[in-house]
Amino acid sequence: MEKSQIQISCKNLWKVFGPKGANLVGSPDTSLPPAELQEKTGCVVAIRDVSFEVARGEVFVVMGLSGSGKSTLIRSLTRLVDVDAGEIELCQRDVRKADKNQLRDIRRHNVSMVFQQFALFPHRRVVDNVAFGLEIQGVKKADRYRKVDELLQIVGLSGFGNSYPSELSGGMQQRVGLARALAVDPEVLLFDEAFSALDPLIRREMQDQVIHLQEQLHKTVVFVSHDLDEALKLGDRIAIMRNGAFVQVGTPEEVVGSPKDAYVAAFTRDVSRSKVLTARWAMQAPRYPSLSSYEDRVVPPTTLLQGVLPVVLASELPVGVVDSDGRLIGELDRRSVLAAINDGPPDSALNEDEMLTTPANWREEVAK
Amino acid sequence: MTVVAESNERAEVVQKPEQLPPSARANKVVAAKLLQRPYTGLFVLLLAMVISAIYGGFQSGFPTSWVPNVTTWFNSVANWITIHQNTAPFFVHFLTPIGNWLGNSVNAVTDLLNWLSWPGVIALFAGTAVLAGKWRVAIFVVIAMFYFGLIGLWSASMSTLALMSVAVLISVVLGVPLGIAAAASRVVEEAIRPILDLMQMLPAYAYLVPIVLLFGIGNSGGIIATVIYAIAPVIRLTMLGIHSVPYETVEAGKSFGSNKWQLLRKVQLPMALKPIVLGINQVIMMALSVVVIASLVGTGGLGDPILQALNIVDVGDALTAGVAIVFMAMILDRIVSAVAENVGRNVSTKGQRQLISPRNLRIAVGALVIIAIALGNVVGGGGSFPAGLSLSLSAPVNSFLSFLQSHLYHFSSIPVIGGTSNLSSFTTLEILNPLTRIIGDFPWWLAVFGTGVIGYLIAGWRRAVLVSIGVTAIGLLGMWTDASVTLSQVLVALVLCVVIGIPLGIAAYWWPPLEKVLRPILDVLQTMPAFVYLIPVVLFFSVGNMAGVTASFVYALAPAVRLTNLGLRQIKVDMIEAGNSFGATRFQMLRKVELPAARPTIVLAINQTIMLVLAEVIVAGLVGAGGLGYDVVVGLGRDEFGLGLSAGLAIVVLGIVFDRLTQGRPAGRRS
Repeated sequence: MEKSQIQISCKNLWKVFGPKGANLVGSPDTSLPPAELQEKTGCVVAIRDVSFEVARGEVFVVMGLSGSGKSTLIRSLTRLVDVDAGEIELCQRDVRKADKNQLRDIRRHNVSMVFQQFALFPHRRVVDNVAFGLEIQGVKKADRYRKVDELLQIVGLSGFGNSYPSELSGGMQQRVGLARALAVDPEVLLFDEAFSALDPLIRREMQDQVIHLQEQLHKTVVFVSHDLDEALKLGDRIAIMRNGAFVQVGTPEEVVGSPKDAYVAAFTRDVSRSKVLTARWAMQAPRYPSLSSYEDRVVPPTTLLQGVLPVVLASELPVGVVDSDGRLIGELDRRSVLAAINDGPPDSALNEDEMLTTPANWREEVAK
Repeated sequence: MTVVAESNERAEVVQKPEQLPPSARANKVVAAKLLQRPYTGLFVLLLAMVISAIYGGFQSGFPTSWVPNVTTWFNSVANWITIHQNTAPFFVHFLTPIGNWLGNSVNAVTDLLNWLSWPGVIALFAGTAVLAGKWRVAIFVVIAMFYFGLIGLWSASMSTLALMSVAVLISVVLGVPLGIAAAASRVVEEAIRPILDLMQMLPAYAYLVPIVLLFGIGNSGGIIATVIYAIAPVIRLTMLGIHSVPYETVEAGKSFGSNKWQLLRKVQLPMALKPIVLGINQVIMMALSVVVIASLVGTGGLGDPILQALNIVDVGDALTAGVAIVFMAMILDRIVSAVAENVGRNVSTKGQRQLISPRNLRIAVGALVIIAIALGNVVGGGGSFPAGLSLSLSAPVNSFLSFLQSHLYHFSSIPVIGGTSNLSSFTTLEILNPLTRIIGDFPWWLAVFGTGVIGYLIAGWRRAVLVSIGVTAIGLLGMWTDASVTLSQVLVALVLCVVIGIPLGIAAYWWPPLEKVLRPILDVLQTMPAFVYLIPVVLFFSVGNMAGVTASFVYALAPAVRLTNLGLRQIKVDMIEAGNSFGATRFQMLRKVELPAARPTIVLAINQTIMLVLAEVIVAGLVGAGGLGYDVVVGLGRDEFGLGLSAGLAIVVLGIVFDRLTQGRPAGRRS
């Protein structure tokens, strides 16, 4: 990635909750299992040596179970939680070294956040909720409301400006939360489990809205979620987080197609692989030299395997994979497609218990 | 999104389809909303005001010619009661037996305490604390109870204790079942809610006169007054305790097919026990404050020496007795909360290492109590503390106080203000008296319909009518002038509480160390019975209006600080995070997020503050604050039942008007 393209850059972040947690950073104790560490020091490692970069316009999803540290991580980006060690650069500004005023400036202009429980202000009407960030910046009332009107239209809430949040449904409330975050026109948007509290149908609607908005606005997005389908749907890249550390970072295909360890494999086990993996993922070297040998059985490399499946099942003949310039780059047949779809880990790869939140993690959640 | 479409239509109707800039449109909708409700109502109220102003010739104050002779009428009722007390069946077969029974109960408890003898009582209380695992409380109990004896107030303390025990016991025995009934049945709840509201709102003073009329002077009246005051919170907290049982748990009970009674007995009551017992602690505190006031109707106890000392402005004596009351409050508070902590503690004590096993400790404590009782009865003088063991604190305290007075009260050393006496006369002459005059001369039509307008804006028609009738009633009771004396003190004390208490609550929220410093101070302020506040106040501000203002300010300050602080601390974390994530400054956070979010609690704080201030201003009638409180004292003392009843009623009405003007619309069930 080019330097100027990088919007968020985190290096070696550490956060340890508990008495004198900061002293533990980098010490051998941190490699103890969480329960033992808790027993010995009373501390919990929430972020463990995490480094990542997010490019401008990219949607970066941080995925993990509750207590994995993902909420702490997203909060540390704007120092709602202060990390103990590491560097955070956001829109070319050093967040950790920022003084009070600089930090406030970053929060006012560069980043905004959408919260899990919406965190709307119940005493403010919808318009004034959406206008909050602008009001804090000192924007004049008329200008604020002009902008708000525009945003309410975008999120499909025009006409609700004078309602109070409690008069809206959950989905509508989160639309207000989204509009509020967009109102300050930030470069970076942070979503903290933004849709977890919503019904599945509404959740899907909101995800579609985010995708739709992203096509127009090209914001840099960090999206924290515990819902793998959501991560696969929204993420350009996905980081799987466990016990405070990133286990694997990659595209949805990489995470699903070649899980790095048993934990990730177990995580992605129930995903329908044919809906994530593409022709490019499953293809092999073409057996025929020319495109004409494949007749009309050709697909672009971005085709999902579920689209290719009926074709290869109907015929033994291979399917050519052709890039946008019309060049033959590979081929698929029944065997390669089925192998890609089937190539999941055996069910017993991971002890089920390890998936569960440990008491220590639970405590961390409570401590927050 | 059909919802969106619908509401667009709705919004369109209000806006008219013309294209306005968004801000103007928003403003217009707000204006329309605002106007819809109050428009007609305001018009009617203002019209009524103008008509009555013209009709009444723009008279100031309340027209005296309109005041019916309520007092005389009340007096004749009082006379009728006095005459028929021994003949009318209602008295002979109902009230008198109740009164006798109550009096006998108090005597029985006093006899029991006497039989226990003073060493026995001390051993019993201290032993209870030890069994609850609180050694420090036990030591405090011993010291405090020796204090009772040493200053010669042992038997007064014991009669206060006896009164309290009977009153609290009756409140619990009657209140808990009522609370259960209210929790079980919506109908019962709706029926008793307004009664509870009224009972909790009224200063005990308001019903002293009718109680004396019906039950006569003595312990029984004091108990009735205390029960009226203390039973409402018992009912409330029983209801609250049962409602606080998680719904899932109740559902789990139901899913096994338990009937209502089983559910109550096996699930709800056991789980509600702890909050109920903890709440009873507060009830005891409240009861204590009324028991002390009840000295006015002839109950003995610790209130009596204070009353006598205040009458002759012997601050030293009043103070030593005041300290005894505070000690009594602390003893009961600490012991009951220590015991309550052990109630329903679902932890097995197995495996804990202890110096003495619980069983042996119980035996030891039991033995100690028995030995103490025996010793007390054989050599210690039984129920009365040995006269030889006494400590006259009055003289040293008085000399210390006169030292304080000479340095604070009389002009001298304090810069700018001079002394507290200067402050007192300045406030009385320059603020309170003019304010009293202004309120007293306030044209009745403006007062009646003005409060009506406020009530209308707060909660609509019914509220407007209620407060208007209330204000009129005060005039018709002939209490307009006296109410204005009370009102001026209430207003000044309220302003002080708001101006000092709310910022203090905010400061403690911003700066946690301050909260730590404030907490014990507020704790003490809140355990002290209303009566006790009068003592230091008289010392520094002499008797008069200013004493009323200062006592009520100090009395009501604690809840103002506490509730403001609580409201701020209860704001959800994510809302604070949301504010911060937009880069709000500390001050922006306070103004735009925290204060608005805490508003309901702060409004409640103001409501509570007003009610407490009112109650204390009334009590301060004893130390020359005048007004309605003084009328009640006169009504009790000099056979002027009519005046006392009128004043008591006026207090009730004033309390209701205040309460209704500081509470929002009724929101169905309060959460």
